[in-house]
Amino acid sequence: MVKSKQKPLAEIKDLLKSYSSILNVGCGGCASVCLAGGQREVIALNNELSLLFKQEGLDKKIDGYTVERQCNVDFFQGLSDERIKKYDCIISMACGAGVQFLAEAFKSKPVFPALNTVSIGIDKDIGLYEERCRACGECVLAYTGGICPVTRCAKGLFNGPCGGTNRGKCEIGNEYPCAWYEIYERLKEQNRLQDIKKIQPAMLWKNQVLRVTIQEPYQERYKMY
Amino acid sequence: MTEMIQEILKEYNAKMKLSLKVCAHCSLCAESCFMFIKNNKNPIYMPSYKFINSIGKIYKKKGNVDLKMLEDMKPIIWKNCVLCTRCYCPLGIDIPSMISLARTICRMSGVYPQYNEIY
Amino acid sequence: MEHINSIYVLVYNLVRGPLVWISSIIFIVGTIYQIWQMLLLTKINTRPIIKVFDKQYNETHEKNKEESCFSSLKRTICGIHPIMIVVTTLFHILLIIIPLTLLAHNILLENAVGFSLFSFSEKISDILTVLFLVSSFFFFIRRIFLKRVRIISTFYDYFIWFLATAPFLTGFLAYHHIFNYRIIITLHIFLGELMLVAIPFTKFSHMIFFFVFRFIVVNEYSFRKHQVIRTW
Repeated sequence: MVKSKQKPLAEIKDLLKSYSSILNVGCGGCASVCLAGGQREVIALNNELSLLFKQEGLDKKIDGYTVERQCNVDFFQGLSDERIKKYDCIISMACGAGVQFLAEAFKSKPVFPALNTVSIGIDKDIGLYEERCRACGECVLAYTGGICPVTRCAKGLFNGPCGGTNRGKCEIGNEYPCAWYEIYERLKEQNRLQDIKKIQPAMLWKNQVLRVTIQEPYQERYKMY
Repeated sequence: MTEMIQEILKEYNAKMKLSLKVCAHCSLCAESCFMFIKNNKNPIYMPSYKFINSIGKIYKKKGNVDLKMLEDMKPIIWKNCVLCTRCYCPLGIDIPSMISLARTICRMSGVYPQYNEIY
Repeated sequence: MEHINSIYVLVYNLVRGPLVWISSIIFIVGTIYQIWQMLLLTKINTRPIIKVFDKQYNETHEKNKEESCFSSLKRTICGIHPIMIVVTTLFHILLIIIPLTLLAHNILLENAVGFSLFSFSEKISDILTVLFLVSSFFFFIRRIFLKRVRIISTFYDYFIWFLATAPFLTGFLAYHHIFNYRIIITLHIFLGELMLVAIPFTKFSHMIFFFVFRFIVVNEYSFRKHQVIRTW
């Protein structure tokens, strides 16, 4: 799932300095699973912020509310316009998508992120996550033995290894494994080394524009071009 | 607590009551739930079982629920359901919205999953 | 004896006279009211139209045109529970078809309002009724013996099942003059009226719900996927 991490408290405090009534909206989806922005984290952050405001003698009110998912308007139950009206600003404890969607839904209120969205990753252990995908939109895992060169190679090379590979390590530092070395080893093990020789065309970096996903059965509905 | 719950129940009264009423208890939704398939087709993972025993119970008690009841509900709506919104209902009942409302009510009462513990 | 007979005549006349009209009116008005209520629950789809920035990006794989209608049906609920789907379709179609095409009903209709619908011969209707009762029995067995259905069944479900089956059973018994014809036929008319009244207000309202929500509300399984009509 999407992994995120809370911003430094000082940064969040700084964002809120000119607002006196604040609503902190958590997300019960990915942000909750990676222990960054669920209901518990909303309560914790609110407590920390209130304490901070109190210490500085500021009169600010901060409330918390957690929706099931911030990336789908169907789950905005309980976030009515009336409720939002009572607050000067909103802070969102969701990934970038959630923050933007909340800002889109309540255009009159400033919406601030409380998290940094980090990656699409895996759960190594409780509270420990590692990136596995950068959503480049051109998956090459079929030819690379299931090892992603975009996230695991320092240069994000589609065809490798480069000259910097050094006994299985990367030239940027000896502690970093070389992704393309690993790819070679894995392909060799599976007896399909011919795959590494296939030249992958350079990425068009289509993720520079807004990527829209439309699933096959719904193509007809959104047909407009 | 009860008042807060009753307020939100009232907001969704018409839709939820109707959905609970028309459910024919046919169990055809079962196979659309991957949790049901994955757990050896144990009927407690059926979408209908999950909403009947969460939001259905809350409506039956007209919002007069205690913390213990919500705690008992917690595994049904969080552990047994990931809210993937793929449930099939032959009649067209919007099951995800029912589970999500049950979750909202639990959250309002301070009952929610902690992902760093096994519950 | 005389006394009981006069009560019977009174009940019989009541059941086949005013109650028919009252129940029909309640059914029609109730159905219209429920459709209106259900439409109030939904709204016209106002979700913003998605602008597709990158045309190329949304090219999807070619659909396999060789795939027959039948095999694509297999991927739906029909492939998962074929028997249940056949039985339930049969049950629900017969539930509507039998009463409307029964010769005796149409004669009564002709006498009352001067027009009638197409009717099957009595023999065909008899066979259809047996089919209906068998599929209804299948539901009952399923509810009792299948754990996944039993676990969510309540007394109300059995009552609804009874309410749906009883008019057909009594009608069958009356046609074959099993037991006391006079009592059975009165019971038959009464139960039929009871069911008609129950449709808009009980679990039977899934009959209305199905047509409103599977056809006009956007969702993954709606029958008209490509037309954006209404949302919850």
